[in-house]
Amino acid sequence: MDPRTLLATRRKNQWRSITNHPYFGFILIGALLLSVQLLQNIGVDIPTSIMRAFGLTMIYIIIGLGFAILLGYAGLASLGTAGFVGIGTYALGYLTNQSGLSIGLIVVLSILGAVVIGAIVGFISLRIEGMYLAIITLGLSEILNEIFKNAVPITNGTNGLEMQQLVLFGKYMTISKETVFTALAVILVIMILFTYNIIKSPTGRAMLAMKNSESAAQAMGVSVLCYRLLAFMIATVFALIGGILYMAYINFTIPTTWSLAFSLNLLAAVIVGGSRSIWGIVMGSFMIFGLDLAVFQRIVLTPDRNEAIARFIAQFPEHTENMTRFFNSLQGLLPIATYIFNGVLIILVVMFYPGGLYQLFLTIKQKVVQGIKKIKHDWMVKRYGQDA
Amino acid sequence: MFDTKVFWNSFILSILVLLFVYVLVDTLVFRKRSKRTDKQNKLINGLIGLWISILFGLLVDLISLYGVVQTIADKILAFSVLSLATTGIVLIFKTSITTNFAQGIVATFGVFFAANVVTRFSNSGLTGLQLALIGMAAGAVVSFLMGLFIDVAIIRKSKYITSVGKQMITMGLVLVISGLIPVIYGIPTLSVPRLSYGDAIQIPFQGTFVSITPHALYAFVIAIVLLALLFSALRFTKWGLGVRATASNETVAGMMGVNTRLITALSWAIAGALGGVAAYLIAEGGSLSVGMMTATQVNGFMAGILGGFSGFLGPIVGSFLIPVLSALFFYVSFLWSNALVYGIILLIILAKPLGLFGKKIAKKV
Repeated sequence: MDPRTLLATRRKNQWRSITNHPYFGFILIGALLLSVQLLQNIGVDIPTSIMRAFGLTMIYIIIGLGFAILLGYAGLASLGTAGFVGIGTYALGYLTNQSGLSIGLIVVLSILGAVVIGAIVGFISLRIEGMYLAIITLGLSEILNEIFKNAVPITNGTNGLEMQQLVLFGKYMTISKETVFTALAVILVIMILFTYNIIKSPTGRAMLAMKNSESAAQAMGVSVLCYRLLAFMIATVFALIGGILYMAYINFTIPTTWSLAFSLNLLAAVIVGGSRSIWGIVMGSFMIFGLDLAVFQRIVLTPDRNEAIARFIAQFPEHTENMTRFFNSLQGLLPIATYIFNGVLIILVVMFYPGGLYQLFLTIKQKVVQGIKKIKHDWMVKRYGQDA
Repeated sequence: MFDTKVFWNSFILSILVLLFVYVLVDTLVFRKRSKRTDKQNKLINGLIGLWISILFGLLVDLISLYGVVQTIADKILAFSVLSLATTGIVLIFKTSITTNFAQGIVATFGVFFAANVVTRFSNSGLTGLQLALIGMAAGAVVSFLMGLFIDVAIIRKSKYITSVGKQMITMGLVLVISGLIPVIYGIPTLSVPRLSYGDAIQIPFQGTFVSITPHALYAFVIAIVLLALLFSALRFTKWGLGVRATASNETVAGMMGVNTRLITALSWAIAGALGGVAAYLIAEGGSLSVGMMTATQVNGFMAGILGGFSGFLGPIVGSFLIPVLSALFFYVSFLWSNALVYGIILLIILAKPLGLFGKKIAKKV
């Protein structure tokens, strides 16, 4: 064969082996998020609120990954995530403000703490099952929320805790949002790869077996005790890391954020995206949190602040007052639109696509591939005639 | 004001002593077994009952009997509301095996409608009580229809549904309905009248007087009547038999000729109506808000867990204990009363995972 064609085929195969590698997509999404930051650095005008939306969504994806291992793989429904994320934020805030510990040390300490908390909740989960567990973890979350509100010396109560500087390398430093954003993207990719390796390993398969039938799993030699504890530990560690990142990025935490609504939104993100796939979590988080932060919260319809609408109203001089009032009331209803949109999305997904948006995406992809094949076939038939 | 040190010491001591007794009896008399035996269950029941009475005894010692009775009288309204809401949750749990998060928001939707009805009828010469009862009935009817609609149009239509899936649907409904309420009823503040605006009733007790607001008394009567009606319906009517049959095994009940779809739909509707009444009672003349039932909803779950979802009386005991204990602990530590009550529930659930009155349901593998 011609050596040139051989080389070309080899290159093509090499490229394909890179794109087919399971890590490729995950690293690609990290690179995409990093490029958003890069675009802003080289001078493209990206509004701060959009950057904030991306940053927060990344944090929520990390928390969602831990939650997905718990719900999608171990089959344990928990509504206590908000409390654990809250612990992470307060741990970083309090330890940095008071003791000046380095952030790396705080992360290590928090992971140790999370393992202990996860083990305790895991032991509770051994005795309580199914929906009872969801309600008990909800109670746990309520207790934690009370602690955030009332332990004023540590958490500064309902006023919220503020953290201006981080301690890095033994020194107090002010770290810009841009740096934290970059770190978030890197950590997100690491966490995704970690999750991927867990769910593709014997651990993930054991958890899945336990979810589908506990008795069958036990009969196969899967230790329910061990894997339940492990699932809770992983979820708690992810939640605490999410909390630490949240505090490092937003620099402020307040008990009302870590209420039942947060846990429910997280559950919604995981369910809407598809609890058994990493891409599902990413999609669901962007759908539930990202869309709200980046789109719904930014729409301005009041004529005073939106020129296009002001111009539109100016075309009807006789109805100005009514139309202004109409658009003002629409603006008031916008946050409600988010609620209705999310709610309808959750209901539709659970009703018709229990696998979530990821499954929908797969179905559409399959349909498209089939369609392309059919068109290709038709074209061949047209060109070369029907097969004999 | 109160000497809480003695209380705390005896509180912790009582838990430790009872734990010690349990361990002692368990190891010396029963010996360790892999599964819990009936005797062990009885021991645990007895010890928990003893502990709750010790707890009340300690509280009486701390606050005085009059204080405890007055606190219970203050919490009669909360108990009535919570028992109605919890019964609705348990009813749905029995027939659909799911925890209904939308119970509170459906009730809120109903009470907003009730407020509109009351405003419309306010000039028609009805007395305050009649007006309030008409409003309450209107709210209950709307919640009833809404519950029916949720089951018939959403839960029944969904493919491949699991109980966690149903739970998710009710969470989605919370979002949708809490968005719809301001769209339908507008932003202006609404309120529903109390059942009675009379002075507090004084009941002589130990030389002093225990006072109860008439609204709370009416609420208590309404709750008792409704629950009595519901329980007798469950006990004596064909529908009640159907509910019990569906609760024990839906497939077999269907095979035996029970119309399980109708039973389930009616349960959702009745649960909605109970919630509607509860929401009207808890509004207590104040202005309505979308989140007014959230606390009741969470406490309703807790009461169900504490009493056990397998029966109807257990949750009612739970819905008595939760508001009363949290009000009593207010004297012990006014910051941590709620956290304390949740902590106690957690401890009891660890000892008895199926609740105080829960029964184990045998599961086929």
